[in-house]
Order: sequence, then C-alpha cells, then structure tokens
Amino acid sequence: MDGLVTTAIIGLSLGVEYALLSLGFTLIFGILGVINFAHGGFYMIGGYAAYAAVHFAGMPFPAAVATAMLVTALLGYVCELLLIDRYVSDHLTPMMITLGLYLIISTALIVVFGPEPADFSFPIRGSLRSGGIYITYANLIVLLVCATVIAAVYLLMYRTDFGLALRAMADNREVATALGMRPAQYFPLAFGLATGLAGLTGALVTPTLTLSPFLGDSILGMSFLIVILGGLGSLGGAVIASFIVGIVEAYSRVYLGGSKGALALFVVVLIILVVRPNGLMGRIGRPA
Amino acid sequence: MRNMLRTIAFTDWLSIAILLAFAIVPFLTGDFFTLSLTNQILIAVTAALSVHIMLRMDLLSFAVPAFMAIGGYAAAMTAQAGATNLVVLLAVSFASAAIVALPLGALVLRLRGVYFVLVTFIFTEILQLLIFETPGLTGGSNGIPRIPAPTLGPLVLNTNHLIVLVSICVAVIATVVTMGLTRRYGQEFASIEENETLAQSLGLVAWHYRTIGFVVAGGIAGMAGFALVNLLLTAHPTSFTSMSSVFYIAYVLIGGRRTILGAVVGSCLLVWATKVFSSHGEYSAGFFGLLLIIVVTAAPNGLVGLAQHLLGRVKPRSASPRPEVADAHV
Repeated sequence: MDGLVTTAIIGLSLGVEYALLSLGFTLIFGILGVINFAHGGFYMIGGYAAYAAVHFAGMPFPAAVATAMLVTALLGYVCELLLIDRYVSDHLTPMMITLGLYLIISTALIVVFGPEPADFSFPIRGSLRSGGIYITYANLIVLLVCATVIAAVYLLMYRTDFGLALRAMADNREVATALGMRPAQYFPLAFGLATGLAGLTGALVTPTLTLSPFLGDSILGMSFLIVILGGLGSLGGAVIASFIVGIVEAYSRVYLGGSKGALALFVVVLIILVVRPNGLMGRIGRPA
Repeated sequence: MRNMLRTIAFTDWLSIAILLAFAIVPFLTGDFFTLSLTNQILIAVTAALSVHIMLRMDLLSFAVPAFMAIGGYAAAMTAQAGATNLVVLLAVSFASAAIVALPLGALVLRLRGVYFVLVTFIFTEILQLLIFETPGLTGGSNGIPRIPAPTLGPLVLNTNHLIVLVSICVAVIATVVTMGLTRRYGQEFASIEENETLAQSLGLVAWHYRTIGFVVAGGIAGMAGFALVNLLLTAHPTSFTSMSSVFYIAYVLIGGRRTILGAVVGSCLLVWATKVFSSHGEYSAGFFGLLLIIVVTAAPNGLVGLAQHLLGRVKPRSASPRPEVADAHV
C-alpha cells in the first residue's frame, strides 16, 4: 500500500515536470502554429546553463535556475525574431528551422560540455518520510516550484491582457491582426516564454535525473506524446495528459520494469487518435 | 506541362545513371574505406527516397529508421531461417515494412498532417524500445549477429564488391518504384500538396493516396534497412536511431525536395562530407543543422532546385517558346 502511494507521488512529480515542459510546446503550436523541434534542445540548454552557473560562476542553485530560465527565454526570443518569424505562416519551413536549431544546439552542447553526462546533482539531499511513504526533498521542491509556475502561466494566460492577446492570436490570427494586434510583437514573446519554460524545466529536473547532451530526442518524444494525448494547442489538455503520462510511467517503471510503460502509452495514443482525434481536451483546431 | 514533365524525366534518368555509375567503383578499387562509403551513400539514397515520397504530399516522415529496422530485422530473421535468396530477402524487407505502414498510415493519415509528424517521431522512438524489450525475437541489445550472406542461385554475395552491387540493386529498385509511384499518382500527390481542402472538396479522398504513398515509402525504407543489415552483417538497434531520421530528412531537403535527383545528390554530398570530415564527426549534426536552416530559408528547393534555377536563367532562349502555364493539378 505504502509502495502504491509512494509511486503515485513519484508519478505526480513526473506529471508536473512534464506539464511544465509540454505547456511551452503546446503554447508555441497553439499560438504560432509551429512544431518546435528544438524544444528538447532548450530543455538541455536550461540544464547546462544551470550547471554552468553553479559550477563555473558559483551561483546558488535557485539563482542558477532563474538564470537558466532567462537565458533560454532570451535565446528563444532571438531565434523567433531572427529566424522563424518571417516564415511563421509557412507550413514546413519553421519546422525545418527548429529542427536545424535542435541539431546545432545538441552539437554545441557536445562540443562545449563533452558527450559524457555532466556531474550535476540537486543541492539538497534526503527525503521526507511518513511511515512507509516518502518523497525526496529534491522531488518535493521540484514539484512545488513546477506547480507554482504552472499556476503563474495559467494566471498569465487567463487573467492578463497579454494572455488574452495571445489566446486571441491562437484562436484566429487574421481577426486578431485585423483588430490591431501585431504578431511581430507577440510571437517572439510567446516563443521566448515557451522556451523559457522548457529551460526552467531542464534546470530543475536534470539535477534530479541526469544531464547529458543526448536527452533531447526522448524529451521531444515525450512532449509529442503528451500533446497528442491532451490535444494539440490545448493548455489544460497538456496538463491533464502530463499527469496521466507521469502516473502511468511511474507505475509501469516500478511494477513492470523497463520501458513497457512507454509502449503502453504509445498504444493509448493510437487509440486516442482513433476515438478522439483532437485529444482529450482538443478543440477543432487550426488546420496544419 | 509537357515541358515540365520532360525536365522531371531528365533528372530522374540522371538519378538512375548516377546510381548505376557506382557499379564502377568496385572495379576501380578494393579500398575498404571507399567501398564502405559507396555502400553508405546508396543506403542513404534509398532511405532518403522514403522521405522524398512523403514530402511530395507535404508530409514530414520521421519513421524511416523504424521501417528500416522492421525490414532489416525481418530480412535477418528470414536469412537465419535459411531463405537466403536475394530476391526473397528484398521482397520480405519491402513487404514487412509495408504491412506495418498500412494500418499506421490508415489511422494517422486521416488526421491533420501535423499528427503524422508527431506520430512518426514517436513511432521511431517506440520501436527502439520495442527492440530492446523483445530479446527473444530481436536479440535485444545484442542484435542478430552472423547473418548468412544473401545468395543468387549458386552465387554467394559475400565479398565487399558484391555487397556494393546489392546496395546498388536496392537503390535502383527504390528509385524506379519511387518514379513509378510519383508518375502514377503525381497529380493526386501534387493536388494534396498544393491545396488539400480544395482537392478533397473536388472528391479526392486524400488519405487514400497518402496511405498508398506511406505504404510504398515504408517498403522502400524496409529495403534500405535490408541493405544496411547486409552491409554490417548484423541487425542491431543502434543502426536505427531516431536521430538518423533527421539526417535522412536533411539529405532530402538540402539536395532538393522537388525531385528524386535531390534525394540522390543530397545523400551523396552529405554522406561523403560526413565521412571525409569524420575526424570531426561530432560536428556533423550541427553542420547539417546549419545547412538545413540556410537551405530552407535561402533556397527552398535545395541544391538541385538552385541548379535548375541557375541553368534555366543561363539559357532562356533555348527553352521552348511555349508560354509557361501555371499547372492546374486538380
């Protein structure tokens, strides 16, 4: 029983991590209509930026995480502004650009930090116990921070004029533009916000798991799985799907072993595509 | 339109000529490095053609390594079971991958194109895991070693020279199949690429044609998998990483996505470049990434498109006086 609860807690903390990661991904798709192949790359940049801030600049961990988020957000902003923005209404081109960016990012990280996993661990050890149920302090802190940031993203998107503008842009770009909103102003900000979230996730999560320049593919695959499950472009769907994926992964890892959970999730995704092609929370979205 | 058909036909013939020209290589040199490079180019061409077919319908496929794994492992198992005839192995590798592509395509290609991109990406990731999870069938992380060489009648195709000929055979079959497919369904593919909504409203059941394309593309990738397994003499999961799917996409886009020749040129140049600069192998992915960004932003039709554009400008007089009519694909 205690084992079941502990696994559920692990699943929940995986869920919030995935939620934060896939929120950024689905935000970019929802607003710009672009599949961001560099998302896993920005996750890794976040991890390495925090690592560098701690190990080379001697920053305390929270400051390093904040720095990592800023760096990735700024990089995302610049990439959108200089490269993607001109091609945003095209279909394949932005995808190819982000794919190219991803290749460049992975290569740059291997060249700068080497192909071996970096020695980056969470500064706080130990775990909180109650009877047989426990959670490591690291996971607890990550869980709380992620949950707070998710709440903040929700407030930003649904309680501010900026969020309203972004959602208007996502709903109908033509009408929003006709009403005076300027895509050139909002797209880089949205992209930067999303990559910042990916970077933040990377900075928080990689010290509890592992930091290597080859993480990108699996992170990207996981984001894809979650957004299909939740419905492309749906923020709420991404969060719910993240928790489903987190819980399934935690239980299958503990009770089935290996990667059977991922296989099961892929089958679930295929079934979802037959039964509810727009995902759990998806709407009839933008044509792609 | 006829004018355009003629130029396409020319580039297609050129593609086949280039591939056949590789047959000279084993007669010129026995150098292991050169022969291996030739093989890798030919396999890359075959894999890139699989990407090319889907791009003709504006679909980006990341599933090439997955189908290569299916075809490669199926051929390896068949050969181990004793059926080493080359024709049988080619048929098995094509059919096994095509059979898996059919239900997956029928499922995903009814949906918007973006789902295809995401699902093919996940499919390749998952298939890697599946190989590791089924050691009884696929040998897991050990792979399937010591595969018997293919045979053609009494001839055992086990020397480095003959392996090159097998790879050429695979690449040429793939090219001819791709030519046939894009000829037969050229109009449908083009209408889907240009305006799918319009095509559908005029009665074209788009997902039928997309699925046909996907099944053939899967089969071609399966044959590429066989050629790779035949080169390495072992079927191993590391031959089919999801990262390699990105490379095949890069070959096609950098070479030029409009023509088969683009896939051939892109594969030749980039595989060659990777090997020549292999002392800096860790940079090659970043180099491809940079090229990819430059090509899609500066020359969307790739190197072949660029060459056609330049040649077209050099001799506008010699072109037929017939006015260029915008193609009505639908």
